[in-house]
Amino acid sequence: MLELRINGFGGQGSVTLAHLLAQAALEKGEQGQALPFFGVERRGAPVRAAVRMSPTTIHAHSQCELPDYVVVMSEKLTKEAVNEGITKFGTVIINAPQAVAVENHPTWQVDADAIAREAGLFSADGPFINIPLFGAVCRVLNIPQNIMEQTILNKWPGNNGERNLGAAGKAYNTVTQIRG
Amino acid sequence: MKSAQVIMDTGAHAAALAVKSARVDVIPGYPITPQTSIMEALSAMVENGELHARFIPVEGEHSSMAAAVAASAAGARVFTATSANGLLYMHEVLHMASGGRLPVVMCNVNRGIFAPWTLWADHQDSFSQRDTGWIQYHCSSNQEVFNTILQAFRVAEQINIPVMVNFDGFAISHCLMPLTLPPQEDIDRFLPPHEPEWRLDPAQPSSFSNVTNAPEYAPFRQMLSDDIIAAIPLVKQAAQEYKDITGMWDGDTIDTYRLEDAEVVAFAVNSMAAELRLSIDILREQGIKAGLLRPRLYLPFPTEDIISALPQNAQVMVLDRNYNFGHPGGILASELKSVLFGRRNDITVKNRVIGIGGIDLTRRFMAAEIRAMMDE
Repeated sequence: MLELRINGFGGQGSVTLAHLLAQAALEKGEQGQALPFFGVERRGAPVRAAVRMSPTTIHAHSQCELPDYVVVMSEKLTKEAVNEGITKFGTVIINAPQAVAVENHPTWQVDADAIAREAGLFSADGPFINIPLFGAVCRVLNIPQNIMEQTILNKWPGNNGERNLGAAGKAYNTVTQIRG
Repeated sequence: MKSAQVIMDTGAHAAALAVKSARVDVIPGYPITPQTSIMEALSAMVENGELHARFIPVEGEHSSMAAAVAASAAGARVFTATSANGLLYMHEVLHMASGGRLPVVMCNVNRGIFAPWTLWADHQDSFSQRDTGWIQYHCSSNQEVFNTILQAFRVAEQINIPVMVNFDGFAISHCLMPLTLPPQEDIDRFLPPHEPEWRLDPAQPSSFSNVTNAPEYAPFRQMLSDDIIAAIPLVKQAAQEYKDITGMWDGDTIDTYRLEDAEVVAFAVNSMAAELRLSIDILREQGIKAGLLRPRLYLPFPTEDIISALPQNAQVMVLDRNYNFGHPGGILASELKSVLFGRRNDITVKNRVIGIGGIDLTRRFMAAEIRAMMDE
């Protein structure tokens, strides 16, 4: 069973990212689970969500305390997110224009803010970074690009889907491993 | 023959889809976190014509159950949902549903009780309604929530007793998981239309639940007590026939995992019991013969099935997510001890209260708790 935790701030779309990843697992013929932690919900507060993927039935219903992957929605949270728990050689995926690799952990970096803005995916509250991050995480998890794309089109049939595909695809192809 | 469809959905929405496929007639509703999304989904289904039912928005849970009682007495198939303090606010009318022998089905999304306020899962709410005369299931997965609601309608309507289907707030209600939807014709075959023996009908006026003298009242209460116990074979039959039709099985009155040769048995309900399967695997890897016994039915308490399932000389570790105030532990432990007394003197029962107010219960934490309990 693969376990992944998303650490972000309220309003960044962590819940939708978790849902997309769980749906991608189903799309590739596995079981998926998205279990967001609902705290006292307010914009800007630290939030987290658990994602699990497994070829067999998932029985776990706790938050991921020791995940194999940690997705950091905002660079500022990197230290806090890693300190919250990760497996010994677990992988960290950071949204930042230029990230500093996490010591002892394979680290990937993607500039989700820039990709979202470039694709016109933003509102007055900021860019929709969960779409490019979905693409980036799929790449890191070796989920084929067509599975990633199909998951997006299932969720957003039509024009929004097309626009999201562009941003997710760009992230899929530009996410960079900065520590092996 | 149409085949089953697999979708991704939350536990709360799985509940709403089960209610839709049960073809309910009336849904009184009042929102309370984390149950709100069930009511939102059902009111949307009624609004857009997917579900031909009457949705009755009310001003509070006492009225919600009162509307459910009235609609059920008029012969309708009725569903409502609540949580925590909403369930407590219904308390008086819960008795009216069971005493009136009305087969209402309700989901209670388990959440800790005020005060102080909390939004997250524990089991004080449902267990505190033990003496209302409702049958109570406790579910440990989204799929089980879906399956159990359909089984609950069948049992309720066979024996005219209301049924509460409980599952954890957030850990199930807001958890997105794969959900298998059997073809509607299979569900219709399992759950035929509700045909009550009796109903309130303005064309043939009659009165209902009048004042009774003791000689009439006492037999009514005795009958309710007897019939709740008599629901056990119906619960088993419903689970078996649901399996025959859909292929899905969540256990009947109990569910077990690696129990046959177990020396240490975890005993718990709801989502923590699902996670406990992983704790059992951890303990087995450490060389401890551990197993799980999950009562899927809390009321009637599955006494005989528990007594026959527990291996000889087992140590039973009851993990309660509630308090039995006035006693040092939780309610499940107390129930278990009372049924074992004088019948299984070989069994040792140990108890801890954990996970109150939604404290995260991980597989590693619970495995460590069980290990620590072994040394007590």
